[in-house]
Amino acid sequence: MRFTSKTRLLASSMLVSTSMLGLAVAASAQEATFVVSAQNVGTPSYNPINGTQLNDAITLIFDRMVIQDADQTFHGQLATEWESTADGMSWTFKLRPGVTFHDGEPFNAETIVWWIPQFADTENAFMTAAIESVEVIDDLTVRFVMKNPDPNLLSNMSSGFMSIPSPKAFDALGDDFGVTDAVGSGPFRLESFTVGQETVLSANEDYAWASDLSENQGAPHIKTLTFREISEDSTAFLELSTGGVDLLYSVPTDFLPRLEAAATVQVGTMPGTGLFYIPINTTVEPFTDIKVREAAAFAINQKEILDNLYGGVGSVANTFLIDSLLAANVDPALRISYDPDRSNAVLDDAGWVMGSDGVREKDGTRLQVALWTQNGTEFKRVTEVVQAQLKAVGIGADITVFDSATINDQYRKGTDHQLAVRSYSWANADIIDWFFSGQRLGYPNVSMWNDAKAEEMNLAAMSGSRTWEERVANFTAYHEYVLSQFVFAPIYQPVQIYAYDKEAISVPETIRGTRLQSQTVVDITVN
Amino acid sequence: MISFFLKRLLLLIPVFLAVSVVIFMIVHLVPGDPIDNLVQINSSPEQKAALAARYGLDKPLYQQYAIWLGKALTGDLGDAIILRRPVSDLIAQNLPHSLSLGALALLFSTVVGIAAGVLAAIYKDSWIDRVTMTLILLGSTVPSFWLGLLLIMLFAVQLGWFPVSGARSWDALILPVLTIGLGGVALVARVTRVAMMETARKDFVMMLHAKGVPPWQIELRHVLRHALLPVVTILSLRIGWILGGAVTVEFVFARPGLGSLLITSLNQRDYPVVQGALLMLAIAVMLGTLLGDIVQAAMDPRVRERIK
Repeated sequence: MRFTSKTRLLASSMLVSTSMLGLAVAASAQEATFVVSAQNVGTPSYNPINGTQLNDAITLIFDRMVIQDADQTFHGQLATEWESTADGMSWTFKLRPGVTFHDGEPFNAETIVWWIPQFADTENAFMTAAIESVEVIDDLTVRFVMKNPDPNLLSNMSSGFMSIPSPKAFDALGDDFGVTDAVGSGPFRLESFTVGQETVLSANEDYAWASDLSENQGAPHIKTLTFREISEDSTAFLELSTGGVDLLYSVPTDFLPRLEAAATVQVGTMPGTGLFYIPINTTVEPFTDIKVREAAAFAINQKEILDNLYGGVGSVANTFLIDSLLAANVDPALRISYDPDRSNAVLDDAGWVMGSDGVREKDGTRLQVALWTQNGTEFKRVTEVVQAQLKAVGIGADITVFDSATINDQYRKGTDHQLAVRSYSWANADIIDWFFSGQRLGYPNVSMWNDAKAEEMNLAAMSGSRTWEERVANFTAYHEYVLSQFVFAPIYQPVQIYAYDKEAISVPETIRGTRLQSQTVVDITVN
Repeated sequence: MISFFLKRLLLLIPVFLAVSVVIFMIVHLVPGDPIDNLVQINSSPEQKAALAARYGLDKPLYQQYAIWLGKALTGDLGDAIILRRPVSDLIAQNLPHSLSLGALALLFSTVVGIAAGVLAAIYKDSWIDRVTMTLILLGSTVPSFWLGLLLIMLFAVQLGWFPVSGARSWDALILPVLTIGLGGVALVARVTRVAMMETARKDFVMMLHAKGVPPWQIELRHVLRHALLPVVTILSLRIGWILGGAVTVEFVFARPGLGSLLITSLNQRDYPVVQGALLMLAIAVMLGTLLGDIVQAAMDPRVRERIK
């Protein structure tokens, strides 16, 4: 009997101890699983130098020289100070001391001397094209000698494509860098990467060089972070609502009501980097007439689309650039916002008479145009509303839906499309050059716009600016001219929506930076 | 038997060549271009042209085909343009996932399908037959995409029995296997039921009844054995179908596999990967058909007789 009691006592003690140990292990297992945006599924590598598609984990493995905040200001990460000469022909950067890569290699001026030439002949060569050479001033100071001024240099340096890899690992791995391994100086180390499936990261316990955008200046609180790739938004949503994952980087607007209803889910938004718009083919009748373009542009009721399709989440677009860009501050008279009276008046002036079926006619020709869009529920819904809004001012539109991988080839034909519903995601004014330069007719210049004055202004904005202020002024002028020619109609600016399991993790209320990147992730704690 | 096998194997060579032409042409004639997915905003037309040249996309189509086929015949499926890895590595990484999913789904549809078909045939025109056939009809008409989401809602979200998605544990296989397998169950059950009923009308079955052999023994030992011939044909054809048909299921359940690889690469127009994955699926269909023929010959002495 005594023996039995002792045995029971011993067994109970062991059970309690084991349970306590289990709890302790669970508490110290600071693990989290995030889901990357559906559009980033299939990102092929973590090679920032020659990669053209990168997902948000890139900023966790690597550091950049500077980070851009939501208000467009730049904050030092691996650079602590920088200045350029008045003529823009030289930039000097002071580098952060005490930084080491995951392989133990030091970060210093020699790293930068090695790094910049790596971009030559890669798809990202344009990022450093203006840099002639890099000079070492001292171990922690470098000077960029420029071929021509590039006031966009800081913006480029804040991009994930200008993340800095360990020179030793980069040279040793060659083409396998970013595929089999990736070595940076970021807050997390790459443990494994299965393309299209998941990336597993572990905390860099030596990390002590976060930017001033982060509260936590030391190693990240999360010790093991898995990035899963889930293409289907419904599946990602169900994973979050059942606790299978802890955070979704991107949530479609139509999931918001369901997510907000889930007791354990917290939804957050941050300024977007994208914009929906309608390019107007300026080389095809009837849009060779600027009045018809003007009528189409002012027929779009942006507020109606924002309220009815997006439940008021996001904001209307009245220019070609997202509101946070300085070059979006154009003359208010040039902003394009819904004005059906103006549309009707210019069409009347141009001789287009309202027909009995609600579509205007001129000299026996109906104002019936082709309206293209790409597959996907969101595009189809926006396009159908646009079709109805155009019809309200007497412009008939026939919708054609193309596969998203096919539609760019169709645009290149140049003459088959008239209107289209498109979107882009880019937080720099040089997007105007990409979509309206006469060098890229068909695609990406879907508007087929080739105008001598615009080309002159493009040149000034793209390569004629010496300082950031001058660049902003040149792009604002170029932007205003594009707006005045009605070569597109703006529609909508989405916000970035993220969602997380508030019982599993705590995310800072304010997300710093332009995206949910390393500066925020190091502050996230596991509950 | 060996000459039959060799003859069927030789026949596969022209089929393989024809399939390779069709795959190559379909992939290249569909509008779209991998270079579009490689270039950055701000890249110049010259940079695009250089990239096209680097990947041999500037050559005439027939030359590109000859180069691809020549390498494929030596086992080199080339390098992925977008995914930047050898295509064979990508296939080797994804094929085991597709094979395990496909094999289990095939096993599930075979066992459950034959059992349902036998039940429906034995209890013909009874409520068992009607319920079985109604369920089978539902199983064959519900799209796998929708069925997958329904199963997730029920078993993962409401009951919490299985993970919603992924391939991290063995139980993550169950819902995808059910999703793919249920379609197969419907097909196998229908074929089994019809074949059982047809066989049951044959003279030798009447003879067995007349000799007083127990009915369960007649149905399971004699009728089912004969009825399995068309079922084997259907199952062999489904080997390739299951690998390719898992595309949507892998997508819904966020699983690795040839289907996911194909969708990702198709969206990016990563020609070498799409070609390699399609070629694998085509080979699976061809080998499945060959296997079906061999099994049929092994099971049915009349087939062996015809070969002789």
